[in-house]
Amino acid sequence: MSTTRQNLPGHLSIRGLTKRYEAMAAVDNLNLDVAKGELIAFLGPSGCGKSTSLRMIAGLVPASSGTISIGGRDVTKTPPYKRDIGLVFQSYALFPHMTVLKNVMFGLEMRRVPTADAERRAREAIALVRLEGKEERRPAQLSGGQQQRVALARALVIEPSILLFDEPLSNLDAKLRDEMRAEIRDIQKRLGITSIFVTHDQVEALSMCDKVAVLNGGRLEQLGTPQELYEQPATAFVASFVGRTNRLRGKAEGDRIDVAGMTIRAPGRHAGTVDIMIRPHRMAMRPILEKAAADVEPTNRIRGTIRHVYYSGDILQYEIEAAQQIMTVEQATASGGAPLAEGSDVELAWRVSDTLAFEVRQ
Amino acid sequence: MTAAAIMTAVPEKRPISAGALATLLLGPIAIVNGVAFVLPVFNLLMLSFREALSGGGLGEAFTLENWTGTVTDSYYLELIGQSISTSLFITFLTLICSYPIALYLHRSQGAWRTFLLVLVISPLLTSAVVRTYGWIAILADDGLINSILMYFGSENGIRLLFNKTGVVIGLTEILMPYMILALLAGFGRLDHRIEEAAETLGAPPWKVFWRIIVPLTMPGIALGCLLSFVLAISSFITPKLLGGGRVFLLATEIYDQAIVTLNWPLAATLSMIILVVFGAALVFYSRLLRAIS
Ligand SMILES: Nc1ncnc2c1ncn2[C@@H]1O[C@H](COP(=O)(O)OP(=O)(O)O)[C@@H](O)[C@H]1O
Ligand SMILES: [Mg+2]
Repeated sequence: MSTTRQNLPGHLSIRGLTKRYEAMAAVDNLNLDVAKGELIAFLGPSGCGKSTSLRMIAGLVPASSGTISIGGRDVTKTPPYKRDIGLVFQSYALFPHMTVLKNVMFGLEMRRVPTADAERRAREAIALVRLEGKEERRPAQLSGGQQQRVALARALVIEPSILLFDEPLSNLDAKLRDEMRAEIRDIQKRLGITSIFVTHDQVEALSMCDKVAVLNGGRLEQLGTPQELYEQPATAFVASFVGRTNRLRGKAEGDRIDVAGMTIRAPGRHAGTVDIMIRPHRMAMRPILEKAAADVEPTNRIRGTIRHVYYSGDILQYEIEAAQQIMTVEQATASGGAPLAEGSDVELAWRVSDTLAFEVRQ
Repeated sequence: MTAAAIMTAVPEKRPISAGALATLLLGPIAIVNGVAFVLPVFNLLMLSFREALSGGGLGEAFTLENWTGTVTDSYYLELIGQSISTSLFITFLTLICSYPIALYLHRSQGAWRTFLLVLVISPLLTSAVVRTYGWIAILADDGLINSILMYFGSENGIRLLFNKTGVVIGLTEILMPYMILALLAGFGRLDHRIEEAAETLGAPPWKVFWRIIVPLTMPGIALGCLLSFVLAISSFITPKLLGGGRVFLLATEIYDQAIVTLNWPLAATLSMIILVVFGAALVFYSRLLRAIS
């Protein structure tokens, strides 16, 4: 990890990238810029085109149309072995017939790095992923987590201009996954490698990455920081996919939305059928009999009945029937207070500013 | 009887030891092999130490003459060398011709794959004799290939039949289905992701082939080559028909000695020599397998 990389800003630039399989567009007109050193997540449900996008960037799948450029160089037609890209697979894809050391040295060998130098750099990379002492093992003699570390070292050692991860942690158990997340993030920051991290796990995307690109049906729904996605989702899909939401459907007129006879206010002006979404933990709940405190901020209030209470130590989760829907409210458990009983009538309250409204396209 | 009574009537289960179980399972095949293989081979070995009398008779006394005669006779030494080198060459050619087909088959999917597999196996449904006559029709002086060559202006065409070329061509084709099936059986470790990983690490296609695909398919290559070599060196109908009596190999010589000259002891000696060659091939194969894994 000695040489310094000279990358232009707007390091990876994707324009109108499309992949069609017969009539179906697996990736549809993707536009994206990734700055140097940034870690960006591709987040979306299974089959939304994350892997296909990544594989087009790596050159393993030819694009139907659009361009990809890395560091200002158009690589759309460049074969993968000339793209200078590191790829970490979900299945590790280590070379089973080579030792750990040989696996990590492979990319350097292909670049004609002198053997002594290649071995020194490979050992450094192996140390970086904390696998010292395992150099002479075969992949089959390592655990899943260790194999993925080898795959990471193998991709890192060539100092690629872009590092791509395709769901690298989904074959690992939860504890190891958390550990590896932090480690990948740490190494990526330290080496400053521009990276794309594909995942269908929103926690992974939000907690690790500088920016998240939410994909749905081959299209980019929104690109933003984790906070932007959560607080200002651009589409109903992003709102429901990133974090959990309660969803109500109503008829809008200006900033007022009629839901089953109740009026709910939302920021901005809307018209026609509207989906309203509210995060469960942004809702407050109190028994009907208690007197409401004076509102400091504009607040929506609706009445409902508690149907279920789920107690899970840290969190109390209520399922409440309101506006002819089941809504979920989450509260941190407090000392002393007993949960409200099932069957109690309650009032739900949340800030107008916490109300996300999306016009439903018909 | 009540259910409880039935339960108590069942004798207590005695666990069978692993050794006893192995004996039980391997017993039948051991007996069959003993009667149908080991015993005849032993007889053959004994036969190779008998004196050959003219007219196909056997002398009473035991003698080393067949062995000493064979291994000191330059004709037989050359024959053995020829057989081994020709079989190795055929094996190599079979491998070269079969590998791309096996690789393509391994990567194809669905109905197309099934169709191709049937296509590969179908020659095995026809006897090697019939296929050899097919090759005679193709390779003969007035056969398909020479007709085409002469149509395009060649004066005499080329000699493809009744020489080693014909034997090599015929045997290669006859052995290809076995080679392809053996290769496919050994392609289990091949994984497209691994090839892609090598590519992204900077390996151009030919390096992916030599550094990844070939090493990963080595078990299949070794098995296919062992099978081809053994089948090549022991085949006699195809060399006899396509060689037209002008190509001399161990197997055809054994056939001649046993059926034409009626020198059974010599035929037995040559058979034992082939068996030794088999043994050497097997040892080499298992060494190779151990080296791979
Ligand atoms: N080789 C292919 N042929 C046909 N369809 C494909 C192929 N590869 C992917 N697809 C389709 O493209 C879509 C996106 O796939 P993929 O990129 O693998 O999704 P993700 O990685 O987000 O789960 C899916 O509907 C998938 O079925
Ligand atoms: Mg995928």
